[in-house]
Amino acid sequence: MLQKILALFVIALFLGRLFWQKQKKQIGVNEFIFWLVFWFGAGFLILALKQIDQLALRLGFSSSGIEILLYLGIVILFYFIFRLRLKIEKIEKDITKIVRKIALKEK
Amino acid sequence: MGTLKYKKTMAVIPAYNEEKNIKKVLEEVKNYVDEIILVDDGSVDNTFSLAQESGVIVVKHLINRGQGASLQTGNEKALSRGAEIIVHFDADGQFLAKEIPELVALIKNNQAEVVFGSRFLGKKSNMPWFKEKVIIPLAHLVNKVFWQVSLTDPQSGFRVLTASVARKIEIINDRMAHNSEIIAKVFKNNFKVKEAPITVIYHHFGQNISHGFKIVKDLFLNKLID
Repeated sequence: MLQKILALFVIALFLGRLFWQKQKKQIGVNEFIFWLVFWFGAGFLILALKQIDQLALRLGFSSSGIEILLYLGIVILFYFIFRLRLKIEKIEKDITKIVRKIALKEK
Repeated sequence: MGTLKYKKTMAVIPAYNEEKNIKKVLEEVKNYVDEIILVDDGSVDNTFSLAQESGVIVVKHLINRGQGASLQTGNEKALSRGAEIIVHFDADGQFLAKEIPELVALIKNNQAEVVFGSRFLGKKSNMPWFKEKVIIPLAHLVNKVFWQVSLTDPQSGFRVLTASVARKIEIINDRMAHNSEIIAKVFKNNFKVKEAPITVIYHHFGQNISHGFKIVKDLFLNKLID
């Protein structure tokens, strides 16, 4: 129970920071919505740990709900890394375009 | 060969830190083309000034962007100067300039729109064993899997193309994967392709196996971005 409260407290902190960032206009609307959904989702999952435990059991996993969340976390991280790579690749292409333009312009 | 119609021929030579070989290569290539466009790919040595001394057209990338990027820059420069035939040639002296006319002739007498130089068609090359038996066959396989294309020498950087081919093909793989990319696009557009035997002199090993992995990775990422 204490763990849950602690986790929810951390999430509340992040949410507070998120709203603060939004107010200071440090992040865009899309990013704000994304993180809002993300943290609310995380809070919901923590509140529903018991149900997730049961779900995990019914799906045939021998582990508990919190472990499922960890697996999920890793999957999500991989997805982010992948997205980053694509983005970097795109930026590289853009840099090339700029460098080429300058090269062709110079006498 | 008889008399061949005159066509403005330009060599595009990408160079990155090639001060040791560049002068000699430019002097040799000069004899076989109308103009040379040297793309200095952000070299930190004297490549740029040496090339300028040679009196060729020099285009400079402010920072290193890779051989594919340099070739595309060179192509665009050549096209803007009215090139009808473009020769891709390496700056490190591994190809023989005197073989340029043999490849260009195939285009001039309409046997092809693109000519790929191949190290495996009879002429002698002192290729390292590992490269010949492992890396090239792997490159072969990758080309086949990705685009169902088969050439005897998929990693050769010595090629000749017509202006219309250069205009149609935009090289987007900045780094090493451009060889495979060019081949794929040439076949996709159904250009008339010929392979011609060339000689390659190996000063050093060229691409190694980790390069090979990078090529596959680049090709994969590019498929996703497109």
